Amino acid sequence: MGKPKVAFYWCASCGGCEEAVVDLAEDILKVVEAVEFVFWPVAMDFKVKDVESLGDGEIAVSFINGAIRTGEQEHMAKLLRKKSGLVVAFGACAHIGGTPGLANFVNRKKIFDWVYFNAPSNDNPGKIIPQEKTKVEVGELTLPEFYDTVYTLDQVIDVDYYLPGCAPPPDLIMKAVEAILSGNLPEKGSVLAPDKALCDTCKRKTTKPERASIKEIRRVHEVMLDPERCFLDQGIICLGPATRDGCGERCINANMPCRGCFGSTSRIEDQGAKFLSALASIIDMNEEEEIKRIIDSIVDPAGIFYFYSLPASMLRRRLDI
Amino acid sequence: MCTGRIDPQFVLKAFQSGADGVLILGCHPGDCHYKEGNYKALRRFHLLKRMLKQFGVDEGRFRLDWVSASEGEKFVEVIRDMVATVKKLGPLMTDKEKLRVG
Amino acid sequence: MQVRVGVYICRCGTNISENIDIDDLIQFSSRLENVAYVKDQPLLCSEDGKNFLASDVAQEKPERVVIVACTPKEHEKTFRNTLLRASFNPYLFQMVNIREQVAWVTADKAAATEKAKAYIRAAVKRVTLHEPLEKKEIECNTDVLVIGAGPAGMEAALLLAKAGRKVYLVEKNSFVGGKVARYEEVFPKMECASCMLEPKMDEILHDENIELITSSEVVEVLGYLGNFSVKIKRRATCVDKEKCIGCGACYEPCPVSVRNEFDYHLSDRKAIHIPYTGALPNVPVLDQGHCLRFAKTDSGMVQEALNLGLITQEEFENYKKQDCTACQEACMFDAITYDKQDEILERNIGSIIVAIGFELFDPSVIPQFGYGKIPEVYTGLEFERILSQTGPTGGKLLMKNGQEPRSLAIIHCVGSRNKKHKEYCSSVCCLYALKFARLAEKHAPGAKIYDIYADWCVPGKDNQEFLDSLKEKKNIYFIHTNLPLSVAVKQNKDSLSVSCVDVLGKENPLAADMVVLCPAIIPARDTSRLSEMLLITSGRDGFFAEGHTKLAPVSTNIEGIFIAGCCQGPKDIQSSVAQGAAAAGQVLSVLVPGRKLELDVITAEADENSCAGCMTCIGLCPYKAIMFDKEKKIAVVNTVLCKGCGTCVAACPSGCLKGKHFTEEQIFAEIEEVLK
Repeated sequence: MGKPKVAFYWCASCGGCEEAVVDLAEDILKVVEAVEFVFWPVAMDFKVKDVESLGDGEIAVSFINGAIRTGEQEHMAKLLRKKSGLVVAFGACAHIGGTPGLANFVNRKKIFDWVYFNAPSNDNPGKIIPQEKTKVEVGELTLPEFYDTVYTLDQVIDVDYYLPGCAPPPDLIMKAVEAILSGNLPEKGSVLAPDKALCDTCKRKTTKPERASIKEIRRVHEVMLDPERCFLDQGIICLGPATRDGCGERCINANMPCRGCFGSTSRIEDQGAKFLSALASIIDMNEEEEIKRIIDSIVDPAGIFYFYSLPASMLRRRLDI
Repeated sequence: MCTGRIDPQFVLKAFQSGADGVLILGCHPGDCHYKEGNYKALRRFHLLKRMLKQFGVDEGRFRLDWVSASEGEKFVEVIRDMVATVKKLGPLMTDKEKLRVG
Repeated sequence: MQVRVGVYICRCGTNISENIDIDDLIQFSSRLENVAYVKDQPLLCSEDGKNFLASDVAQEKPERVVIVACTPKEHEKTFRNTLLRASFNPYLFQMVNIREQVAWVTADKAAATEKAKAYIRAAVKRVTLHEPLEKKEIECNTDVLVIGAGPAGMEAALLLAKAGRKVYLVEKNSFVGGKVARYEEVFPKMECASCMLEPKMDEILHDENIELITSSEVVEVLGYLGNFSVKIKRRATCVDKEKCIGCGACYEPCPVSVRNEFDYHLSDRKAIHIPYTGALPNVPVLDQGHCLRFAKTDSGMVQEALNLGLITQEEFENYKKQDCTACQEACMFDAITYDKQDEILERNIGSIIVAIGFELFDPSVIPQFGYGKIPEVYTGLEFERILSQTGPTGGKLLMKNGQEPRSLAIIHCVGSRNKKHKEYCSSVCCLYALKFARLAEKHAPGAKIYDIYADWCVPGKDNQEFLDSLKEKKNIYFIHTNLPLSVAVKQNKDSLSVSCVDVLGKENPLAADMVVLCPAIIPARDTSRLSEMLLITSGRDGFFAEGHTKLAPVSTNIEGIFIAGCCQGPKDIQSSVAQGAAAAGQVLSVLVPGRKLELDVITAEADENSCAGCMTCIGLCPYKAIMFDKEKKIAVVNTVLCKGCGTCVAACPSGCLKGKHFTEEQIFAEIEEVLK
């Protein structure tokens, strides 16, 4: 029996997840040793038809990163699903939508209007925007459909496992690969990371007072951040309490609060709503006007609470456009 | 159940499941059977309402009011008012296709 | 997963069946996933209905039960008990209210039936997610703490003691009796207050089951129904109550004289004193705030005493040199020792009755009445002392100049029934104002008495008669005014002028020597402190909030803590005593010696394996039921203290807190199914 076949594909993503693989450093050699890559557009020269020519389920595992925002991405996800035994949603965008998912606060028209007409750097006198079909001399050119809504990978195909993070940290990637290779896998649908909140391992936890309370909310650029004190205790919104652990606190160690790229724990359905609930609860005011004053001082609450998870949220997108 | 038990997820779940409006009714501030659950509800309500606006959910669709057990008339008035407001706004989630839910 | 759900539909006579198509419901319910059978009954809460339910559940052996009937407020408990009879875990049951929420409010039968279906669908889905919950029992202490020894607290303490309960009666003053100890006579029958009160006070002092702890306040309360531990701070009074016989020999030589707060500063007392003649227990108190030994010479006290002529120059020199021992020397029984310190007493109890009484609204807040500026303007309580035989004038109605007033105005509703101050009616002012009028008429015959009222509030037996009898008196003039009061008191050269506009808009300029105000009754100063310490809620007006206005007037939001008397709201002595008795009854039925206490099963629960220790929940708990385990760095819920409100569960950002019987899963299922 040959080495297990592996595919690595990207959808709506930044390329950071591919970088994460490179960040495995020497470990990548172990991976290459153990598996056979059959598809990895960013690194190797395979074509779609190479995938199409494989048998159903022939690929042992496909790692798909990025959210689904175009018809082509959905098509490729479905193709890989058909050809793979396992599909792993790799990284925050495939897992919960990621930052591309913030586009769900607008729609295709708004995006196109900005990108092709209204952005100050544009020069588009002919008002040309991409068309799905364009007739040219040699025939018809096609572009994939650009969706109104960004989806998570599991909203378009069945996903077996999730590797969270923007991007997933190398240790979790290696653990996942080892688990897959050894067949020692948890229950289907699991997120391959600890199922506790980030505070569990956060070094700043010890500085948090037992009775958490917030009287003022500040933004990171407005104050000198104490490099040791709990962000929430400094009035800085930190999604750590509502975010799954396992990232190694890379942001926290760089003195930046958590933005929630690992998504919620398994017990939560809507990360943003649950963070909202926790944050609002510890606002230390009972007077309605005071409560409103503090709440109004939060700039773009939905954008912060769903920094990474809007497509995976209960409402998924802005509903009136 | 105390209004303090109301998890914003419940509200979103209701909208997600097709509710066109969500009304939370609680005991008056200072009169909470569980001491101050309603204050927690009040804080969550205001933040959630602000956030729902960003989701394109009209303010009229989400309301918190205080009605005690002895305020039958107010209860009726609040319900009627809420129903009228929501009816005027019409259905919320019309394009399930776009959301790929359900 | 298949779960066997049994659905029972109650027709509630015609209450439900008239407006909902029961056959349609039965058909609909039978087709729902997991439903094994559907049965209907004419009246499930009747004896026949309950027997049917118990035997049918025993026979059918469902894994879950849904009862489609009325509001769970009415019969959830009934059906839980019935299910228990069939050895069925009562928490594997869900009730659907299609009476109050459907049949009685949705007029169209077809619409009502559809609505009922949605509720049933939700309940069936929810109940499959229920978990069996088991009741827990704990041992409990049946001793009782009563805070406040006024009429309500005394009544409660006596009744409990008679039933054999150990009672710790804590009183902040050095005497028992509360405000009533200050009154001369009480309305409407003009009974002698001290004659009425003394036998009760005496019983309090001598009942072996009552430990009376005076000059004390409760400073810490921990625990829960059946298991409270309290700390009581007792001020050092320096007088040994076992040795003291109350002879009073110690006050005479005391060189310090200060205003007597018992008489609202209308008389003087010594540093070692008894607040009034007849105070019980009859043991003097050494007021360390004013005693020379404690206040020390550098406080200027002695200098002031000299300046006021209270001591001679010689005495002054003496006191400056040495610590005063005048009272100790005068005591023939060695009852006075100066090295006493405040002490903390610790007691374990099972329940608490709070009966801390009231205070009066400060009328100087409303300048038009002149209180605090014009010497002859008094509050009702001050006037009570003027009328009292143990008061500053020995029971004679005299002004500060020693003269008898020739005219007197009594003003009702000062600060009450007024949006700017207190919105409520203080409930007793009309009647005590009438009492004042009656007593003034007696003490100062021929004096003109003006009773300026806004409305009469004299409900109950005898009171109307009392009012009517005074209306016949020729020297008592009743002036009917509107609210807010347009009454102003001004100091003239010889007397006061009281201007008041009556209901007809007529200006009534009156001359009065004395003015008595009836200020609003407000919560005692200690109310908010106790509210915080005991975690019991106060209402908008600041009084302790009762469990239910009509049905639970002496309960609070905290199990095992009851309220009685004016701390719950303004009321007369009779009602305070009734509440004291009611609270005692509550205590007697909630904690019975030898009986274990059943704990609430619907509580929050923290999952120690998933808690990250973010501490969001800790400060949210109104019952302080969540502790932070510093070793494991996780939150721990004390399920004995937890009342199951769910505030913490809603806030837990990583879903480690579970609200038993109201889990996310169960509520989500209900929402989804109702809206399907």
